[in-house]
Amino acid sequence: MKSQVALAIASLSAAAALATAPAGQPAPAFAVTDLAGKPVKLDDYKGKTVVLEWHNFGCPFVQKHYRSGNMQALQKKYGNDVVWLAVNSTNKGASDWMEAAPLTAELKKFDARPAAYLVDEPGKMGMAYGAKTTPHMYIIDPQGKVAYNGAIDDKRSTNVEDVKGAKNYVVAALDEMKAGKPVSTPTTSPYGCTVKYK
Amino acid sequence: MSRNLLRPAAAFLAAATLFPLDSAALPVVKTEHVEAALVADRQSAQPGKPIAVGLRLRMADHWHTYWKNPGDSGLPTRIKWELPPGWTAGEIQWPYPQPLPIGPLLNYGYEDEVVLLVALTPPAGAVPGPAAIRAKAEWLVCKDVCIPEKGELDLVLPVAAGEAAPDPRWQASIERARGMLPAEAPGWKFESAIAARTLIVRMTAPEGAAMPVKATFFPARELLIEPAAPQKVTREGPRTLRFEMKLADPPPANVAFVEGVAVAQSGWPGLPGKAVEVRAPASATLAAAGVLAPAAGAAPSTPGIAGGTLAALAFALLGGILLNLMPCVFPVLGIKVMGFVEHAHGDPVALRLQGLVFGAGVVLSFLVLAGMMLALRAQGVQLGWGFQLQSPAFVTLLAALFFLLALNLSGLFEWGLFAQSMTSDLGARGRYADAFLAGVLATVVATPCTAPFMGAAVGFTLAQPAPVALLVFATLGIGMALPVVALALFPALLKRLPRPGAWMETFKQVLAFPLYATVAWLAWVLGGQAGNDAVLGLLIGLVSIAIAAWIYGRWHHSRSVWRYAATALFVALGVYVAWPQAVVPQAAGLQARPGELPWQEWSPEKVAELTAAGKPVFVDFTAAWCVTCQVNKRVALNNAKVVQAFAERGVVALRADWTANDPRITATLAALGRNAIPVYALYLPGETTPRLLPELLTPSAVLAGIDSLPVLKPATALTQR
Repeated sequence: MKSQVALAIASLSAAAALATAPAGQPAPAFAVTDLAGKPVKLDDYKGKTVVLEWHNFGCPFVQKHYRSGNMQALQKKYGNDVVWLAVNSTNKGASDWMEAAPLTAELKKFDARPAAYLVDEPGKMGMAYGAKTTPHMYIIDPQGKVAYNGAIDDKRSTNVEDVKGAKNYVVAALDEMKAGKPVSTPTTSPYGCTVKYK
Repeated sequence: MSRNLLRPAAAFLAAATLFPLDSAALPVVKTEHVEAALVADRQSAQPGKPIAVGLRLRMADHWHTYWKNPGDSGLPTRIKWELPPGWTAGEIQWPYPQPLPIGPLLNYGYEDEVVLLVALTPPAGAVPGPAAIRAKAEWLVCKDVCIPEKGELDLVLPVAAGEAAPDPRWQASIERARGMLPAEAPGWKFESAIAARTLIVRMTAPEGAAMPVKATFFPARELLIEPAAPQKVTREGPRTLRFEMKLADPPPANVAFVEGVAVAQSGWPGLPGKAVEVRAPASATLAAAGVLAPAAGAAPSTPGIAGGTLAALAFALLGGILLNLMPCVFPVLGIKVMGFVEHAHGDPVALRLQGLVFGAGVVLSFLVLAGMMLALRAQGVQLGWGFQLQSPAFVTLLAALFFLLALNLSGLFEWGLFAQSMTSDLGARGRYADAFLAGVLATVVATPCTAPFMGAAVGFTLAQPAPVALLVFATLGIGMALPVVALALFPALLKRLPRPGAWMETFKQVLAFPLYATVAWLAWVLGGQAGNDAVLGLLIGLVSIAIAAWIYGRWHHSRSVWRYAATALFVALGVYVAWPQAVVPQAAGLQARPGELPWQEWSPEKVAELTAAGKPVFVDFTAAWCVTCQVNKRVALNNAKVVQAFAERGVVALRADWTANDPRITATLAALGRNAIPVYALYLPGETTPRLLPELLTPSAVLAGIDSLPVLKPATALTQR
């Protein structure tokens, strides 16, 4: 008992510690704005499958999946079935922070099609989810529980060539969910650049 | 932004100009943030002898590359070697990393300079002359942004007979890298355990050493701990250091072994350098000790009867009651109950007392066994419930005991000294001694039969202080004694049983047969532990004991000393012949038989390997002496549907055989929160903790467990007979 209290205090005292959103647990609620300044909440998508993609164009791991067209293809393929939300938790002081206008242009250039692009500038949403890398992928099932938390695929590299032949965990999970099956791989280790929190 | 980028660039330029000689002397790849080169330990390589060659990365100021476990983000550096024919390359020897905090996250890596050493070995027949070494290296270099970079690096390394002098150009770099390699620590003891949400790693140096006060643990595996969470480091005496770290969420599966590096800037006693290689097997005793009290010198917390304890007590009571139905307990209790039936119309007070004495015998025996187990565990001996049966001598004695009981029930002889429960003309004191001994006997024979619920209850006790553990075991005993004690306390219940009569003699003789069967099974257990010869010894010994019993019974009216002498002689001869020799380790007989699962031998490494490869793994923690295990094997695991489903889904079946004591199995069970078998663990790909299937296994429970797995190939590809 005493030791549990001590541990709880120890974890509280860890400055700005990341929370987590492990698979199987309810997804943390969020309320942020998109690139156009429109408010977006998790509650808006009750009863729908939601995909969260942590994003930052300055990151070579993100670039791998956009240069290859991989991420846009997924956004397009699953666009009718799921709500695909890109999330940017980069802080304003970081060297790869982008303002709304150039970011919108860049998204257009790559033909990216998330349902919304969320600006999580203070990083509150990212910290609540424990997003560590760009990309870091989450799937939230229609009941509001985290169904997947982890990497986009199993080839940890920045090499565009590696997209082919990689096992895409998000595709596998979404297809299993669509078929009414439990997600066979609900947790993986995300890979990518560090999310630049404040 | 521009200032941010310029500063490292300027620093980098300055660094590059500082080392013009190196750049001229060897092919250097310069990228935006890194200067990379291949460096060699010596001026030439000797045929057949390894030579240390390193990939040296010099990072621009504040930029870093990564360790083998990069931490929260990042990628470890990779090297692909292209070597002359016959040359071989070893693994990268990673210098210990430094923690690199980035906001709320933490990475493990290197700043300034790192040399990743690899042992290259030319073939024994290598021809003297220049050899072209090429390395294709890829690294991720990050500051706040990350850049993936790569380079093809060449080194011309002469091959020459005789030992070459160190290469002065790179000696300093290589020596520095060598000094940063974690030291092997022979004679040190490493242990790990998981307690709630905490990973504990404990290291103990040999006699007389003084541990540092400050240290950091770097795990070799990702997703094991939260890298950024603060580590709690405690000195437990001068020789022992203990790390407590927050586990990743979800907690990792299969942590039978924790590997990593412990780094202390003040160094380690008796070891060179600042880093120690840690290989810490899971330890049940460490798990039992749990998470340390918060402050040094704090009074040990008094364990209240918390919800967990109450639940464990409830399960212990239930499990104890169920023990009565086990095939090895039932005959003994049958005899006891029959005694009551006979006495039912006698003195109810004496009957009640007898029942209570029986209960006391059971509870006391449980406490003695539990006390023995706790005492041995406290000394660091790895054992769990049922441990007695891991001793061939105990199995032999048990077989002899069961055999004698069976002969008695068959009517070959009657007890003369005590335990005359069948004859009512015994004095009161004798009856109480009998009741007590029956309780002891019932406990001794019950231990191999771990009833359902008991596994969880016994596992729970491990994490508890001794008084709570003993309370749980006492409750287990109360549960087991409960049905018989209830019959004794409420003789009205006995009236519902058939009246005594000739049927009792028949019933008694029938009860002998489960006991003979138990003897047969114990002989088989002994065979698994000590081999064929031991079984022959046991059987001949049993024949001798049968002769003794026959002499004793045949001349039971005789008061002649010869009767006792002959009996004693044959008993002694029997025990002498049956006594097992030192255990011969048996080769695991795990041949696949048609219609059965293709079992493979279990090891923690094998589980780690298979799960890392994404294979579903089923582990059967079993032992020859565990009856429930044998029943489950027949009923559930060798079921045709189960065998087929395993084959279709590519489930690898591993058998962890605990027939003889195996500390690795004890430790793994402890990590699963159990310390008795059967335990069935199913490791599914993508799930970090294994699923535990019920202890009384059914085919449908197994099938439900693996139902979510995809079918790999059509059923026709199966090797059906």
